[in-house]
Amino acid sequence: MTTIDNNEEAIVIIGSGAGGGTLAYELTKRGLPVVVFEAGPYLQNEDYNNDEWEAFNQMAWLDPRTTSGSYRIARDFPNLPAWIVKAVGGTTSHWAGATPRFKAHEFATRSTYGRIEGANLLDWPLTLAELEPYYDKAEIAMGTTHVHGRKPLPANNNYTVLANGAERVGYKHYSTGPYATNAEEYDGRPASIQDGFNFQGDKSKAKWSTLVREIPRAEATGLLDLRPNSHVVQITHDASGRADAVLYLDADGNLHRQGAKLVAVAANSIETPRLLLLSESPMFPDGLANSSGQVGRNYMRHTTGSVYARFDEPVHMHRGETMAGVIADESRHDPDRGFAGGYYFETLSLGPAFLASFADPGAWGRAFTEILDAYANTAGLWIVGEDMPQESNRITLNTSVTDTNGLPVPNVNFDDHPNDTAMRNHGYAQAELLYEAVGSIGSHRTPPYPATHNMGTSRMSLEPENGVVDKWGRAHDVRNLFVSDGSVFTTGAAANPTLTIVALAIRQAEYIANELQNGGI
Amino acid sequence: MAVPAKYPHLNETQLTEEARSVLIRVIRVAFPHPRFPDAPYERTADTILDEAEASTWLRVALTQGLLTLSHLAGGDFRELSDDDATKVLRRIETTQFFAFIRRTTVLNLYDNEDVWVVLGYEGPSFDKGGYIDRGFDDLDWLPGARIESYGGPKLVEIATGVPLSNVRSADVTARDTSNQPGQSPAVMQEVKK
Repeated sequence: MTTIDNNEEAIVIIGSGAGGGTLAYELTKRGLPVVVFEAGPYLQNEDYNNDEWEAFNQMAWLDPRTTSGSYRIARDFPNLPAWIVKAVGGTTSHWAGATPRFKAHEFATRSTYGRIEGANLLDWPLTLAELEPYYDKAEIAMGTTHVHGRKPLPANNNYTVLANGAERVGYKHYSTGPYATNAEEYDGRPASIQDGFNFQGDKSKAKWSTLVREIPRAEATGLLDLRPNSHVVQITHDASGRADAVLYLDADGNLHRQGAKLVAVAANSIETPRLLLLSESPMFPDGLANSSGQVGRNYMRHTTGSVYARFDEPVHMHRGETMAGVIADESRHDPDRGFAGGYYFETLSLGPAFLASFADPGAWGRAFTEILDAYANTAGLWIVGEDMPQESNRITLNTSVTDTNGLPVPNVNFDDHPNDTAMRNHGYAQAELLYEAVGSIGSHRTPPYPATHNMGTSRMSLEPENGVVDKWGRAHDVRNLFVSDGSVFTTGAAANPTLTIVALAIRQAEYIANELQNGGI
Repeated sequence: MAVPAKYPHLNETQLTEEARSVLIRVIRVAFPHPRFPDAPYERTADTILDEAEASTWLRVALTQGLLTLSHLAGGDFRELSDDDATKVLRRIETTQFFAFIRRTTVLNLYDNEDVWVVLGYEGPSFDKGGYIDRGFDDLDWLPGARIESYGGPKLVEIATGVPLSNVRSADVTARDTSNQPGQSPAVMQEVKK
C-alpha cells in the first residue's frame, strides 16, 4: 500500500463500496494513484458473524439519522431509514447478490410512462445501449450466474417453493439468478457452501464484494492509499469553484485536510447528498454542486415488501443463498395493472431474530407469534420494484440533531407515491396467489424494511437545471467533482441497483482516465 | 424525568419477586408460544429488568405498570385466563410501560438459541460447512424446479398496446428530457416581424 501526502493534490474517492471500490480499482489499474476514504473499519471476511444482531451491530451504518414523512419507517424505525454497511467494501459486504440489468425503457421513464402526477420523472441522459458493454464488464467482474458462461446456482428449498408457485400461476421468467455468487470456483474464489448468511457478511468469499475483489486488487497495484475509519465531512473549493481538498475526521475525531485534484463521492444516497450539503460555502450557498436544487431530492428506496407463507410441510428457508431466486415476469411495464413500471420477486429469508423485528413492527399477540411458530415451514420472498422519484422525498440536514462529531445528521423524508402503493399491493396479492398455488395455509404481508436500496439524491440529467451530474456522473457545477454511487440514478428501475452502480463506475473510470490524460479535468 | 426531592426513597425502588413473576406472565400472554419452555421468558424478563435499571423513566414506568396491572385485572393479573389477560394488555398497548416490554421482548426473546431450537432455526452454519451437504435442497414435497433462465420467448418489456407519450429516439439530444410538467423546454428568442 502506498501513502499519499496530505498536501498532494490527489485523486480522492469517498467510499469503498460498489461505486467507490470499483472506481478505485479501475483507476489504479490504469496507473493512477488514489486515496480512498472509508468511514468504517477494515473488517475482513473472517471477522464476520453468523448472527443477525451481532453482525448488524458490527457492520451497519448506525450513526444517528432522523426520518419524517408518512412512510411507516418513520414510526417503526425512526433512526434507521436505511440498512447499509459502514466498513471497507461498503454495502457490497452484506448485499444479497441479485444482479438483473435495467431495461431499455427504464432509462427513459418520462418518455415511456408519460406524465405522472407528483412524480419527478426524467429520462436518463444515457441509454441501455451505451451501458451494455459496461454491464458485460461488471457481470464478468462480479461472476454473475446465468451469463458469460457462469453456471446457475442450484435450487435451495425456498427457491423450489417460489419456482413451483411461479410455474403454477403462469410465470415463465424465473431462475436462480442472475446472482453474483459463485456456483463453482471462479476468479480465485470458491463455490457457495449455501451457508445462508448474506446480510451478515459472507465469510466464505463465494459472494462478490469490493472487499474480496476490487480493494485487494487495487492494493496490489501499489497505488491505493486506503484510509479506513476516516470520515470526510467537507469538500472545499478554490476561488475558481473547483474542488481542491477534502476535510476528514480520523478515528480519534481529529480533523485533517487532504489536497485533491479530483473528488469522487460514493458514500451511498444518504451520505453523498449530506456531504454536498455540508460543503456549502459563500460561492455554493445551497450546498456544493446544487445550483439545480436537486441535491438530496428524488430519494428513492424501491417499492418493496415481503410475503412469508406457511405450509404443512417443512421448507427451512434459512438454508442456502438468501436471494438466489428471481422472477422477472412482473418487471415489465404494463399500466393495465394499475401502475407504471414493474417489479421483481426474489427469494428472501430472515432468521427468527430479524423476522421478529421486521415482520410486523409493533405487533404482538397470537397473530404475531404464529409467524414465528411456523418458521420451519415458511417460505419467503421480497417484492422489489421501481418507485417514483418525488422532489419532496428528500435528504436534508437536521440542524437540531447532531452526531458524535457535532455534525448535523441527515433527515430522510419519504412518502409513498400512489404508484408505489398500487405496485406493492399488486405484488402482495400476486405473491399470495403464487404461494396458494403450492398449498400455503396462511401468509403474512411484511411492510418495507429499512432501505437497502438507496438511490437518486444527486441525479443525472442532460440539462444542468434538472439534475446534479451529467451522464458521466460529473457534477454540472463543479467540473472536477464526480458522484460515483447510486445517487446518480435518474430513476430507480425495478432491478437491484448494485450491478448498475458497478457498470457506471467502470464506465466513469474510463472517462476520468481519458479526461485526465487529455487535460479535460 | 427527575424524582421529586421530597420522595428520595423512590430512588431505592426495587422490583419485588412478585413483580418479576407478573412481568413474566405479561410476556407469556403478549408473546404466546405453546412450545416455548419457561426459561426464554424468564431470561427476557431479566433483560427487561436490567434495561430498566439504566433509565429512570423506564424504571418508573415499569414499576408503576407492574404494580397497577392488578387494578385493570380486577385482581391478580397472573390469575387471569389467557384471553382475559390479553384483553387487559390490549387496553394498555399504547402505554410506555407496555411498549418498552414489547420492544425489548421482540429484540431479545428471539435472539437466542434456546428458542431457535424450538422454531427450527439452526443458527451459525459456516463453521459446519454451510448447508451444501446438510439439507439446503432437501425439500421433497414439490417437484424439482428449473434453475436456468427461461428458454422460451423473451419477456415483453412493455406490454403491447400501451400508448407511449413519446417514442424513444436513439439520439439523446432529440429526446424529451424535460422535467415535470412540460413536454420540452421552452426556447425564447427574438421574434422578427
